[in-house]
Amino acid sequence: MSTTSVQSKVSDPPSPPRERRVWARVRPVALPFASLLVFLGLWQLLAASGTWSETLVPPPAKVWDAFVDVSTTHDGVRGYNGTTLIEHLGISLRRIALGAGIGIVAGVVLGLLMGTVGWLRSLFEPWITFLRTLPPLAYFSLLIIWLGIDEEPKVTLLAVAAFPPVAVSTTAAVAAVPKQLIEAARALGGSRWDVVRDVVIPSALPETLTGVRLAVGVAYSSLVAAELVNGLPGIGGMVKDAANYNNTPVVLVGIIAIGVSGLIIDGLLLRLERTVVPWRGRA
Amino acid sequence: MSSSELAAEPVLDAEHAGSVRIEQVTHRYGRGSEAVTAVGPVDLTVPAGEFLVLVGASGCGKSTLLRLIAGFERPTHGAVRVSGAAPRPGVSAGVVFQTPRLFPWRTVRGNVDLALRYAGVERAQWPQRRTELLARVGLEGTERRRIWEISGGQQQRVAIARALAAENPLLLLDEPFAALDALTRERLQEDVRQVTERTGRTAVFVTHSAEEAVFLGSRIVVLTKSPGTVALDLPISLPRGDVDAEELRNSAEFTELRAQVSHAVKAAAAA
Repeated sequence: MSTTSVQSKVSDPPSPPRERRVWARVRPVALPFASLLVFLGLWQLLAASGTWSETLVPPPAKVWDAFVDVSTTHDGVRGYNGTTLIEHLGISLRRIALGAGIGIVAGVVLGLLMGTVGWLRSLFEPWITFLRTLPPLAYFSLLIIWLGIDEEPKVTLLAVAAFPPVAVSTTAAVAAVPKQLIEAARALGGSRWDVVRDVVIPSALPETLTGVRLAVGVAYSSLVAAELVNGLPGIGGMVKDAANYNNTPVVLVGIIAIGVSGLIIDGLLLRLERTVVPWRGRA
Repeated sequence: MSSSELAAEPVLDAEHAGSVRIEQVTHRYGRGSEAVTAVGPVDLTVPAGEFLVLVGASGCGKSTLLRLIAGFERPTHGAVRVSGAAPRPGVSAGVVFQTPRLFPWRTVRGNVDLALRYAGVERAQWPQRRTELLARVGLEGTERRRIWEISGGQQQRVAIARALAAENPLLLLDEPFAALDALTRERLQEDVRQVTERTGRTAVFVTHSAEEAVFLGSRIVVLTKSPGTVALDLPISLPRGDVDAEELRNSAEFTELRAQVSHAVKAAAAA
């Protein structure tokens, strides 16, 4: 070891013990994994205790079997109702992408207008609040009457569910754009449109993206409702159909598939947010 | 920043462009019984090429006066003229605020480019102009840096580069160095002094520091406490051009002027 490295070693602050550093790195994965194991253990204990019938609380092994069944072709039957789990999920994700996409675009546009023009905000805000408080099931029947039982009511329901969170967050974000930055752009010679494009939109982006994440979450939680009628193929439709036959393992497989895919999509949106708005929390 | 970097700046026609006329201006905030007179009546003429420093205690209306000159506000009474016309934001003057007010979603380069675009500079000329502007404020090599990656002093330098982009003959500075450390503040004072002198720009600079006022100004106006009116109008005859800043700050004349202004500010605040 050279003298220089010895000196730098001496001047460095004492580093934490190796075990602690390893634990700090492993912890983000280890803790959720441990909690999952504990959950599975409790579930198994509860199912094995016989307090409830297997129809109500099937053991984890039965749910795993159902997962394998709906994911493959077995005894000449393909997945669930002729469609594999991944296909059910894909069809539902397409509905969510389309429905939530429409809701998000409409929400961002109206939010921008409402945040910029005071009277538009006064005009639309009560309607959006009204819409936001309604559970999706409340207007789903109406959508069925108006639009039939094909794709239209499902996509519309998801769009209507996704729209308010984005509209509300975009409106709030636009209204909260620092006046100082608007004035700075005007002082540089920016026109009204320049200010909207170069200051208002980027400044409102972080909160708008939070609204998008919320909207996708709301659309996800409305999925089963959207696929209540004629929902097969579709993961929500699968859950509803399996519930009709007291097929609890498939219901649980569907719920877990919705939850896990939701977690993955939220993680991707979070990563997108960090990439698109790196200045968040720093300036 | 070296003198050679500043020499590249084109010298503006200093005859009328950038002159400021404040005619019996009074400005009030609020209405009815809650109205507060922030400034006035003030009558001032700033000839083209002059470096006017407005000094006064907090709340004396000096920033309001600057906002009136920038065109952000219209006076309740009287009239403001910049280069013979009513002031318009983004047209009449370049403005440097107390905080840098940079756009965090843009890099250093992006902030300067935006100013160049707003100023109507052709895109093909941006790289050259950007390099010139950043060199002028001593920020070579920082183009790709994010705003939060540079220091407060560097941020304020970017703000100055941005304000200079439009080549406005008038530069307005509202306590731009108040939040900076003493060393950075002195360096930036020297830079601003040189930039305005070499380009023939008119400048109106707001501060509460007597020292800053004497160092920068070719004329100092001390304002009374709210509502701000002119308490002292003092021409400064300290040498300008290529002078040793340190020597200037330590000269007997500088010290005497600083004491005079400081005394006037205190007297105006107490009145």
